[in-house]
Amino acid sequence: MGKTILEVKDFSFTYNQAINKVLDHVNFRVDRGSFFCIIGANGSGKSTLCNSLVGLIPHYFSGEMEGGIRVDGMDVRKSSIGELSQKIGLVFQNPFNQLSYTAGTVAEELAYGLGNRGVPGKVMQEKIEHMAQLMRIDDVLSKNPTELSGGQVQRVALGSVFILDPEILVLDECTTQLDPLGAEEIFEIVKKINGSGVTVIVVDHDMERVASYADEVLVLSGGRAVKIGSPRSVFTDPELEQYGVNPPEYVKISDMLRKKGYTNRETAITEDQSIQMVKEALKG
Amino acid sequence: MEMSNDFVPKNTIIEKMNPNTKLLAIISLGISTLIFPNPALGLGVLIFLFVVSCIAKIQKTFLKVVLGFGIPITVMLLFIQGLYSPKNKTIIADLGFAQMGLEGVLYALKIVVTLLVFLGAFLLMNKTTHISNLVAALTDLGLPNKAGYLVLATLNVVPQMQKRMSVIRQSQEARGVETQGGLFNRIKAYIPLLGPVILSSLIDMQERGMTLETRGFGINGVRRTTYVKATRSPMDKPLNVILILFLLIVLILTLLMKFGIL
Amino acid sequence: MKVEIKDLSYVYPSQDCALRGVSLVMEGTTPVAIVGQNGAGKTTLVKHLNGLLRPTSGQVLIDGVDINTHTTAQWSRKVGYVFQNPDDQLFLESVRKEFEFGPKHMGMRKEEIGERVEYVSNLVGLADQLDTHPFDLTSTQKRFCTIGIIMMMNPDLILFDEPTCGQDAQGIRRLRKIIQELRNQGKLCITISHDMRFVAENFKRIIVMKKGEAILDDDIEKVFARTETLKQCFITPPPITRVAQGADLKKTPFTGKAFMEAFEEERERRICQM
Ligand SMILES: Nc1ncnc2c1ncn2[C@@H]1O[C@H](COP(=O)(O)OP(=O)(O)OP(=O)(O)O)[C@@H](O)[C@H]1O
Ligand SMILES: Nc1ncnc2c1ncn2[C@@H]1O[C@H](COP(=O)(O)OP(=O)(O)OP(=O)(O)O)[C@@H](O)[C@H]1O
Ligand SMILES: [Mg+2]
Ligand SMILES: [Mg+2]
Repeated sequence: MGKTILEVKDFSFTYNQAINKVLDHVNFRVDRGSFFCIIGANGSGKSTLCNSLVGLIPHYFSGEMEGGIRVDGMDVRKSSIGELSQKIGLVFQNPFNQLSYTAGTVAEELAYGLGNRGVPGKVMQEKIEHMAQLMRIDDVLSKNPTELSGGQVQRVALGSVFILDPEILVLDECTTQLDPLGAEEIFEIVKKINGSGVTVIVVDHDMERVASYADEVLVLSGGRAVKIGSPRSVFTDPELEQYGVNPPEYVKISDMLRKKGYTNRETAITEDQSIQMVKEALKG
Repeated sequence: MEMSNDFVPKNTIIEKMNPNTKLLAIISLGISTLIFPNPALGLGVLIFLFVVSCIAKIQKTFLKVVLGFGIPITVMLLFIQGLYSPKNKTIIADLGFAQMGLEGVLYALKIVVTLLVFLGAFLLMNKTTHISNLVAALTDLGLPNKAGYLVLATLNVVPQMQKRMSVIRQSQEARGVETQGGLFNRIKAYIPLLGPVILSSLIDMQERGMTLETRGFGINGVRRTTYVKATRSPMDKPLNVILILFLLIVLILTLLMKFGIL
Repeated sequence: MKVEIKDLSYVYPSQDCALRGVSLVMEGTTPVAIVGQNGAGKTTLVKHLNGLLRPTSGQVLIDGVDINTHTTAQWSRKVGYVFQNPDDQLFLESVRKEFEFGPKHMGMRKEEIGERVEYVSNLVGLADQLDTHPFDLTSTQKRFCTIGIIMMMNPDLILFDEPTCGQDAQGIRRLRKIIQELRNQGKLCITISHDMRFVAENFKRIIVMKKGEAILDDDIEKVFARTETLKQCFITPPPITRVAQGADLKKTPFTGKAFMEAFEEERERRICQM
C-alpha cells in the first residue's frame, strides 16, 4: 500500500454552460490516514472538489474536465460512482437534500447504503442501533425523516454515511445545523474514525476547529489551490485574509499579547495552546 | 389524491399478505379480464375486489375511486361505442338520432370493466401496502435496483409534490398570500405555482439521485437486502397457486371459445 | 413592537411535544438571539410568531393582539420569517420576481417596490444577480435571497432561522450589517443561531432553549458565565470567551478588546497580590 491514497493532478472543471473554470489546475495529494481540511470563501469551489472526489463529477454533473483524480489507485473518470462508493463516502453540504426520502423511517434511511451492499438483516440492525446512539438520534429512529428538526436531519445524514465504514470519508460542511457541543462531538467521532486508519477530508468554515483537528490544510480561492501546508503554516500566513478566510481567534489573541509584550512564545493556533499562553503571560 | 401511497395501517389480513401476491393478483385478474371475450368475468372480478376491499376496511375509498372513475367513463364509452361502433349489428334501442348496438355496448363494457379491474386491484395493493414493504418484496424477487427505484419513484411522485406544495404554501402565506379559506383563494394561489412545483420536484429528485448514487445505488453483482422485511402470510402460497391457475383456466376457456369449441 | 408568549405549548400532529410551556416577552429594538440544543423547539417557537403554527395551548400576542385572530398572510405585513432551509422559501423564476412577490401582494406602490429592490438587493449582496434563477444561486446566496424577500416586505418584526449556516467571513460581516440596519430602522430582530461567536458579537440578550422550554433568558455576560447549565443545553461559549474562562480570567469577554482588558485587569490583580 502506497503512502498516498488520493491524488488530484492538474484538475480543472467547468460546469456546462458556465464560462469560468470552477476548479483551475488544482494539484494535491492526501496521505493515507491523514486528517485533511479544505477551506476557502463561499464559491471558491470546495463542494465542487468534494463532488469530484466521489465521482459525481464527471458522472453526474456534465461539464468540461481536465486532468485527473485517483482514489486509492482507481481513476475517477473510469470507475463508476457505485464502485467508488465502496471506498469513499461523502456527506453533502445541504442536509435537507440528502435523505433518500424513499424511506418511511429514520432507521430505513440509515439502512439504505447497507442494503445496497447486501448486508444481512441482523448485522444491519446492530449497526443501525449503534449508529443511532452515536449520532444521538435513537429517540427519532421510527420517525418519518421529513418530520425532524434541522440538526436531526443532519445527524441522520452523517449517520447514513458513517454506517458504511468508508476508507475515505469526505465531509462537506457537515455540522452547520448542529448545536455547538453536538458539532464538537461529531468532530471527536470523526477524529476517532480517523484514528482507526480512515482518511478524512473535511470542508469547514470554523477555523478554530480546522486548526485543532487538521494534519494538513488546503486553501482554495477562486478555484485555485493557493496554499497547502500544516495548520500552523497556513494560519500564520499574513496573506490568508486576502483569500476571504479569517485565521482562528487564537491567532488574534497571540498577536495582541505579543504586541503589548506580554509573551514571546510562538503563535497559538488551538484553544489549549492559547490558554497555556495566557496563563504563562499572567504569571508575568 | 386517492391513488397516492398514503398507507394507513389498519391491521387486516390483506395488509399482512406478501406484496408480491398482490402484484400477482393485479396481473392475473387484470389479464384474465382483458383476454376473456365478454365483460361477465370482469364484473365478477370487480365484485370480488369489492369484497376484498371490505376485508381490508377500505371499501369507501374503493367505491369512491371505482365509481368516480367508472361512471363517467362508462357513459362516455357507451355513447361512442354503443352508438357508433362499426361492429354494431344487433340493435337494442333506437334513440331516434342514432341506434344503440349490442356489440358496441358489450365492447364498451369490456373496456370499462378491464380498466376498473386494473385500477381497483392496483388501488387495493397501494392502500394496503407500505412502500418500504413493497420495495422489500421486489428486492426479494431479485428485481434490479433501477427497476425498483422506478416503481418507488413513480409511487412517490404524488406525495412528493404534495409535500412540496405544502412547503411552498407555507412560504406563500409567510409572504402575504391567502391560501386558506375558499376554493377560489386556494386555486388562485396554486395555479401559478404548478410550474415551479414540478421544476423544484425535479431538482429535488436529481439531488436525491446524487445521494443514492454515493450510497451505492449502482453497485452491481450483489444480492441486495432491506431493513424492512416484506410481510408474509400463510395465505400467500395457496393464493399464488389459485391466481396462476385462474389465469391458466381463463386462458384455456378463451382459446376454446375462440375456436368455437365451447 | 412587542411580542408576548404566554405558557405556550405545541404538539405536532405526529404527537411529538415540541414546546412545553414557554413564556417570554420581547420588546423594543434590541436584537434577541435564541440558542439551544438540536430539537429543542427553536424553529417550532418562532413559527408561532407569524402563525405558521398555532398554539396547542397558551397564547401568543403581537403588539397585544392574539396571533389566532389573523391568518399568516395577514400577519406577514408585520412579521417576516426567514426559513431554516432556503429551498423551502424560493419558488419563482428570478431573484427580482422573488423580491417583488411579497410587496405586490401587500399592495405596495410600484415606485416604492422599485426603490426597495435596489436598497435590499445591495444590502444582501445580490444586486448583480437580480435576473438569476434562484436555483442557480449558491446555497449562501440563496440564504441572502430569502433574507431579501422578507426585508422587501418591510415588517416590524423579523425572524431569522440559522442565517449564519455555511457563511464565510464576508457573509458573516454582511449579516452583521443587516442586523444593525434593521435595528436602526426601529425593527425587532429575533435570530436563531448555533454560531456562538456570531451571537456574542451581535446580541445583548440571549434565550437558551432546552427540550421544549426556555431555561435561560438574560444578558449575554450572565448567560455565558453559566457554563454548567449551558453544557446541558449543548451550548459552548465562543472561542475568545473559552480561552478567558480556561485561563481563569474574572470577566467574560466576547471581543478581542474586552479580552485584553480582562487579561490586563487580572494581571494587575496578581501583581498587586504578590
Ligand atoms: N451545478 C452547478 N452548475 C453551475 N455552476 C455551479 C454549480 N455548482 C456550483 N457552481 C458554481 O461553482 C462555483 C463554486 O461552487 P462551490 O459550491 O463548489 O463553492 P463552495 O466553495 O463549496 O462554496 P460554499 O462555501 O458556499 O459552499 C460557484 O460560483 C457556483 O456558482
Ligand atoms: N413536522 C414535524 N412533525 C413532527 N415532529 C416535528 C416536526 N418538526 C419538528 N418536529 C420535532 O419537534 C422537536 C423540535 O423541533 P424544532 O425544529 O423546533 O427544533 P430546533 O430547536 O429548531 O432544532 P434544530 O437546531 O435542530 O433546528 C424535535 O424533536 C423534532 O423532531
Ligand atoms: Mg460548498
Ligand atoms: Mg430549527
